[in-house]
Amino acid sequence: MGSSSKKKKEKQKDFQKAKLKVGKTKAKPDNFTDTSFKAKSITLTQQSLTLTAPTTTTQFTHHVSLLGSKSDAQRRDALAHLTTHLTHSRPTGAPLPQPVSTLLPTLAPLLLDGSAGVRAQLVRLLRALPPRDVEDHVAPLLPFVRAGMTHLAADIRGTAVEVLAWLVAVAGRAVVGCAGGWIKTLNCFLSVLGWHTAESAKWSASRAAVGKSASAGRPVVRVLGVLAEFLAVGIGAEEEGAGRTAGAAVGAGTWEFPLAQVEAHMLPQTAQPYVYLNLFGQPRDEEGEMYETREDRFRVFAARFLKAVERGVESARQDGGEVGRASSAVSKVLKEALGYARGAGLEV
Amino acid sequence: MVKRKLGALEKVEADLPNLQHKIRRDPKSYIEDFRAQHYQYESHREIFMAAPASATDTGIISLRELIDFIAHVADCYPEITKDFPQQLMDILTQHHLILQAELREKIVGSLVLLRKKELLDSATLLQTLFPILISTPSKTLRALLFQKILMDLRSSNAKSTNHKLNRTMQTVLYNLVTSDRTSSKGLWAIKLTRELWKRQIWTDAKAVEVMKEASLATNEKVIVGGIRFFLGGDKEREEMEDESSDEEAIDMGRVKHIVGINKKTKKKARAVEKARATVKRRERKKNQPHPLNFSALHLLHDPQGYAESLFSKHLQSTKSKLNLDQKLLVLQLVTRLVGLHKLHIMHLYSYFQKYLTPRQPSVTSFLASLAQASHDLVPPDDLEPLVQKIANEFVSEASAAEVASAGLNAIREICARQPLAMNETLLQDLVMYRKSKDKGVVMAARGLLSLFRELNPEWLKRRDRGKEASMGLRSGDKKEKRFAEQAAGGIEGIELLEQWKEEERRKKRAEKGLASDAEDDDDEDEEDNWDAWNVEEDEDSDDSDGWIQVQSDAEIELSDSDDDDEDSKRPKKKAKSDEETAAETAAEATTEASKAQKELDQKLSLAATRILTPADLAKLQELRTEAAVNALAGVKGRQSASNRHHDDPLTAEEIEGLAALSAGKATREERIAHAKEGKTDRADHKSVTAKRKEKKDAQGKSTTNKEKARKKNFLMTLGKAKSKNKRSLVQTRAVLKAHQERAKRGGRRGNTGN
Repeated sequence: MGSSSKKKKEKQKDFQKAKLKVGKTKAKPDNFTDTSFKAKSITLTQQSLTLTAPTTTTQFTHHVSLLGSKSDAQRRDALAHLTTHLTHSRPTGAPLPQPVSTLLPTLAPLLLDGSAGVRAQLVRLLRALPPRDVEDHVAPLLPFVRAGMTHLAADIRGTAVEVLAWLVAVAGRAVVGCAGGWIKTLNCFLSVLGWHTAESAKWSASRAAVGKSASAGRPVVRVLGVLAEFLAVGIGAEEEGAGRTAGAAVGAGTWEFPLAQVEAHMLPQTAQPYVYLNLFGQPRDEEGEMYETREDRFRVFAARFLKAVERGVESARQDGGEVGRASSAVSKVLKEALGYARGAGLEV
Repeated sequence: MVKRKLGALEKVEADLPNLQHKIRRDPKSYIEDFRAQHYQYESHREIFMAAPASATDTGIISLRELIDFIAHVADCYPEITKDFPQQLMDILTQHHLILQAELREKIVGSLVLLRKKELLDSATLLQTLFPILISTPSKTLRALLFQKILMDLRSSNAKSTNHKLNRTMQTVLYNLVTSDRTSSKGLWAIKLTRELWKRQIWTDAKAVEVMKEASLATNEKVIVGGIRFFLGGDKEREEMEDESSDEEAIDMGRVKHIVGINKKTKKKARAVEKARATVKRRERKKNQPHPLNFSALHLLHDPQGYAESLFSKHLQSTKSKLNLDQKLLVLQLVTRLVGLHKLHIMHLYSYFQKYLTPRQPSVTSFLASLAQASHDLVPPDDLEPLVQKIANEFVSEASAAEVASAGLNAIREICARQPLAMNETLLQDLVMYRKSKDKGVVMAARGLLSLFRELNPEWLKRRDRGKEASMGLRSGDKKEKRFAEQAAGGIEGIELLEQWKEEERRKKRAEKGLASDAEDDDDEDEEDNWDAWNVEEDEDSDDSDGWIQVQSDAEIELSDSDDDDEDSKRPKKKAKSDEETAAETAAEATTEASKAQKELDQKLSLAATRILTPADLAKLQELRTEAAVNALAGVKGRQSASNRHHDDPLTAEEIEGLAALSAGKATREERIAHAKEGKTDRADHKSVTAKRKEKKDAQGKSTTNKEKARKKNFLMTLGKAKSKNKRSLVQTRAVLKAHQERAKRGGRRGNTGN
């Protein structure tokens, strides 16, 4: 009974006519579908068409911005474009479309890029940069190089060593003399070569290394070569005419008698002459300190690294083959440095 | 060309979790790898520190992952990572404003992890996290930090109380609250203290001191937080304790049974172990003596000074920015302090004068506060005008019934605490309201009447006094209490014990066939007592779960001359509470005093003549609880009110009282709801079968065939039933035969045996 009357009522409801009222919106029908939507932005897939071609400068800037792109290929292509622009299309002597100081911060993170193509292209681009400009921007670049040298992936370690080789060749004195450039980089070298402890330097040591081990085969040869270059710049015998002391020796003759060491009182010729005072940065510890003179560097080297390096070189020599030959370059630099130090009366 | 076989290690490129796993297993072999990763971290940190704001994920590995990795394996190489915690703390404290949210959280998590690995001590961790907690604008970080801080405090107090850490933390919170009274940063101190108070980690006076200072701040939120703690913190703590105590019980038998049946895996074995450990822990916890927890109100150092400053700062001063609700909270706290500690604040009662009108919003709260603030040391001169005002403003034929009943209730509550606030004429006037038409007013007036029947029946009219009170008056039992008169205390429930002993004695004598009220020889009884004493002691030495040794100078001292009369008169018992010590002194007094104090002596006769043995005390406890249960079960409403503990607050609801009765006729729904209120759920009264079925359903078991048949839709069975009628005789016979066969076999699936 009750249910049937209820059903009747429900049925009745379907046939009732909705009343329209003035000032009220019309009720939506039951089968109404809401098609409105909300979006933060609407993108129209149309290209902007302009008649004039973009200038080379704009193109350059555009490709610099593409360096942060998500896709590997795009980054690589952007780097390639920049390289060609730097090497070929630029008239010699003309300034870069963007200065090195703005380029380097975007380029440096690419050192740790996962894609091998990008990294190879990056090395090419770096080599194309004008050497004089790089010299002043070594300090911010070095942490990336060091991070690369200790990276878990062997390929990235290789790239980082390549970049370091380039840096040493282009701005050797800046590399070894900048803040943290000496001790920290040497630490990284030892870590790459696995020379830190007595056991790990032995050839019979269990090399339970994670990732592709870089301590065998060709990469080690390269690392040893770069290490030799690095040490040569840092503590090796100095070539004539390079560096401040040599310059002073040459310049001393040109000044007349009462004047001596005038250049010390002259305007400095480097870009950041007072950087060693570290007026605005974080306080540095021993590792992060700047070691500007050869004596300083040698003292630190003798105290912290000499033993490990000698041990490592010895074991590399015993390995023989290519590695042994490469180690001879290092030992030659070491010999030179030791000889110099003895001559200068330094404690060894 | 044959593909070179790759070792498992060579395949992975930059897999920090893999390295982490390997390091965990063999730290020595992987030290070079770890060193390399540590340099990697150092370089990344350098890069990050050069530009903290613009830190992006560089390459495959980010600083976040490196931090995570190093934090996880730091305990394997303490030499290399000795600076690591400090570096993390530096990053967090210097750059927490600009750090990426993920990195920030990772750093916090890593610090806590290092704390767990004991590479960092709690104090340092808290000193790093806490300043960030109060200064950071990020809500998520605050939530995270709060949780971590709380967790650290809990874990470092888990095994034993870490007093040193607690003290330093409390000092930090105290300084936070007191250093800047206008800022809302004190809220964090309040939140932390309240949480730790709730979990019974902080139960000392210093925590209360923090809250006290908070409630004297100038920031409204901080004030209210502090006040609310005092008003509700202890209740919250009790509830928390109850909650944790009635956690779901683990049925060990069931767990074992399940393991016996299911597949045996390591995981299940671990679950059984865990369950066993939990059961054991609970057992141990049950046997532990209950910790002494004083309520926050009792731990205050200077309640008088505190109440005064609260009153003058938040209520009296015109500069206070609190709104009415907040002021009411403060008032509640002040009056509760006054009532509890029997304080005297000069202007408190005159302050009430202004608010005692029926038009005042939430006036019942004011009335409750006033009642709370009255105690027997308040001069009646202070209270009398207030009582008079309530009577004039609230209680009249012209005012609404709810108002009148609220007024009467308030007067009753005040007089229960300070009877001298009432005078004879007013009382007789008010008692007349029990003839009112409204039920709520009648009840309230009756409450007042019965109160004064106990307190001072002389003020009532002769016909209102009732039987008991009149008899008491005649015998001189009921006398008016003078101002500040203190009743001599006794042992609570000692008369119950006496009564019970009397009954026992009677029973014994009845067994022996003697006259039940004849005098018993004392020696026998004495012997019994000593037996009880010894029995209990034996039990004590066996297991000491029932008894907690309370050391005090009122310990039992057994003299050599047991038979000596005087000695046996001397009360010796365990002094457990003030009441009992009070009783002791009172009992000593009785032995010395003259016969004038005979009544008192009667009351305390048992306590004065017997040494209460542990058995007696146990019985006493039992009788007390029994009496309490009986009182609860009793129908009388006002008994429950008088049973209220003096620590409990008086609420506005109690003042409103039975006003619901005078609110007119309730609707049907209201009546149903009211009727249902006290009743248990209908679901509790089910048949055994229904309950079993429910249990089965809950466990996800299947139904029997019988149940299926019973549940089957009627329409589905119709066809078969119809066709049954149409069967031929032969068919019927076949069916019956088949049925018989089946029954023999034991059902369709029965074991045929062949």
